Amino acid sequence: MRRSRTTVLGALAATLTLTLSACSGAGDGRERLELWFWGAPPEHQKALETALVEGFERAQDTYSLDINFNNAVDKNIQVALSADRGPDVVYGSGPAFAAAYVAEDKLADMTPYAEQYGWKDRLLEPMYESGTIGGKLYSLPNSVDTLGVFYNKKVLDRLGVAVPESYADLTTAMDKAKAEGLYASVTGNKGWKPVNLNYISIFLTHLAGGKATYDALHGEAKWTDPEIVEAVEASAEFYRDGYLAGDDYANLNFVESMQLLADEKSPFFIGPSLGFQFASEYFNDEAGNTGDLGFMPFPNVNPDLPSPMYTLGATASLSINAASDHKDGAAAVIDYMMSAPFAKEINKTWPGYWGVPLKDFDLPAAEYTGLSKEYIGTVGKLVSAINEGHYGLYPGTFFPPSTSTTLADVDGVWLGQVGAAEFLTKVQASFDADKAKGLVPPAPEPSN
Amino acid sequence: MTVTAVRPTTTPAPARRPARFRRRRTLINHLLIAPALLLSVGIVVIPGLLTAFTAFTDWSGVGLDANLVGLRNFREILADPVFGTALENNLRWVAMFLTIPAVLGLLTAWLLLRRRRTRTFYQVVYLMPYVLSPVVNALIWLSIIYNPNGGLVGTLNDIGLPVSAPLSSLTGAFYAAAAVDMWHYWGFLTVIYLGAMRQTPVDQVEAAIMDGADSWQVFRNVYLPSIRPALLLMAVMTVIFSFLAFDYIYLLTQGGPAHSSEVLGTYAYAFAFSAFQFGKASAVALVMSFFGLIASCVYTWMSRKQDD
Repeated sequence: MRRSRTTVLGALAATLTLTLSACSGAGDGRERLELWFWGAPPEHQKALETALVEGFERAQDTYSLDINFNNAVDKNIQVALSADRGPDVVYGSGPAFAAAYVAEDKLADMTPYAEQYGWKDRLLEPMYESGTIGGKLYSLPNSVDTLGVFYNKKVLDRLGVAVPESYADLTTAMDKAKAEGLYASVTGNKGWKPVNLNYISIFLTHLAGGKATYDALHGEAKWTDPEIVEAVEASAEFYRDGYLAGDDYANLNFVESMQLLADEKSPFFIGPSLGFQFASEYFNDEAGNTGDLGFMPFPNVNPDLPSPMYTLGATASLSINAASDHKDGAAAVIDYMMSAPFAKEINKTWPGYWGVPLKDFDLPAAEYTGLSKEYIGTVGKLVSAINEGHYGLYPGTFFPPSTSTTLADVDGVWLGQVGAAEFLTKVQASFDADKAKGLVPPAPEPSN
Repeated sequence: MTVTAVRPTTTPAPARRPARFRRRRTLINHLLIAPALLLSVGIVVIPGLLTAFTAFTDWSGVGLDANLVGLRNFREILADPVFGTALENNLRWVAMFLTIPAVLGLLTAWLLLRRRRTRTFYQVVYLMPYVLSPVVNALIWLSIIYNPNGGLVGTLNDIGLPVSAPLSSLTGAFYAAAAVDMWHYWGFLTVIYLGAMRQTPVDQVEAAIMDGADSWQVFRNVYLPSIRPALLLMAVMTVIFSFLAFDYIYLLTQGGPAHSSEVLGTYAYAFAFSAFQFGKASAVALVMSFFGLIASCVYTWMSRKQDD
């Protein structure tokens, strides 16, 4: 009897110890850090666990990292930060997203960490500057992103056209595709209305030019200026010509579009370079069609602009929660995410989302297989263009929140509900309101 | 003749309780309702009052900084054509939900009333969409019905019947979303109406039949008056739900294309979680609540009238 009582007590003590150790932290004396991330597919979650969590924990012995994946991450973070709670590392939609929180002191000043870790010297200047407000650093983009054209070489061959080198080539190829009963291109905003921003951005960058947008953002020009009106009208014409998935723009999302591209239902998928992450499911070495997929920057509509031009954007932003008790740890995580070893590792299994904005993005393409190879090459070219200043500014990254939301309503112009000039008057009003609240994030100055 | 007899009572009048006992009883009663009351105050009343206050501020939804802006939020939303579209769509939503699912539910309930052995099975089948999550229902319709590549719409096009995808259409998107919500809702109404019809006194039904009433006359003159309170309650609830409509529109169209399927719920959500304009979102929410309040008042008034 005594023996059994001892055994029970021992078991209880062991359970209590285990429970307490589980509650108190990682159990290895490390400080536990938290990062909330969007609800990526399981294979990408696994890739991030391996490359980030395991990599980070191997690289130092002070912190451990937990990643919480959730599709409603933006909304959850908004609510949590409002209540001075939330993760240590704040994942957001870009510098514009961060600016709204900076205005309410919800994000920590990362300038001391930037100096400690040498981020300014290590990262692309425009991308570093995009996260500064009033000279202080509040966010860093996790990846550079651009807009371009994915193409299926097999379909182009079948149509008897070469990879387009000009805007005229592109529209000619799309007309041929339509004549063959294919989609001119595949894309769509099903489930995510801000997708519209991609297609107004293309015309702002490749017709109006990056400088026009930059000037409007800095109050040196108006959103209602003729070159921006012309860009909006051109985007409407592009839509009405059926070049954005014809009648099915509202019925497709990126995953379905990429599947249709792989199924040879269209020669093109026009969209962000982060599309590589969706493409990897349908174009891979296992299916034997990796070589069928190519990516090119969108050709200039305005021939006077330097070529190639890229629309510069960030996939997401990383900040430190002002209410975090582990700011040093959060900075260490961000530093790890801004490093070549992390970029090298994550891009092996998750192409499309981790074009880490390193000045020297010289990952050895030969070491990569599948779409990772193509993606690495694309980011390399984008980095060169950024260094030369040949880029436009992506609204979701560089525009203040209300302006960006209003601009996403551009489908009203495409569908003839509102005129371009009237629409841009509304954009200007939203911009003025954002500016009055100090929500306009800094934007790097393009050359053209 | 004057009747002076006093009606004998079978139970003696209760003895008057001491004041201390009554106070204690009252205290216990208050304690018993306190949790529900506190919960309501904490979850409904306080946030409701805060929302009403926020509607007159420029609060961004982050932090505590907010300035009073008077009626500016209301002026701005009233000047926005999208608000008009959203309000009109909500009114259309009310009209559709008060008729289509209600008629379908009533008709089905009437038919099921005679199917004594199989009606349980049918009720389960009809109720199934209602118990499924809106996300699941929306995905089913997006993938199986509206999908232009492999869905019903795509298949019809493949076999030579040209059908345009409704979610892309300025006129069709709103009705396409409403159709999914009605599909999920009408089974619930069927079950409610059937339950109410089964409470109709059998002797009334039998008397009507004995008097030679046909099936329609029994339904019209016996069942309908009998289930009137249930009809009224569900109509009021439908009006309230219609002004709170959000999930199916958000999941299927996000208010698009070009705001054509916008309702007040999605309109407010975009202000709150995309544009960081909680003040405006609260103003829209107040308008939504106003219509719900009217419906509630009408219901209370009609209930009282019925009791009188």
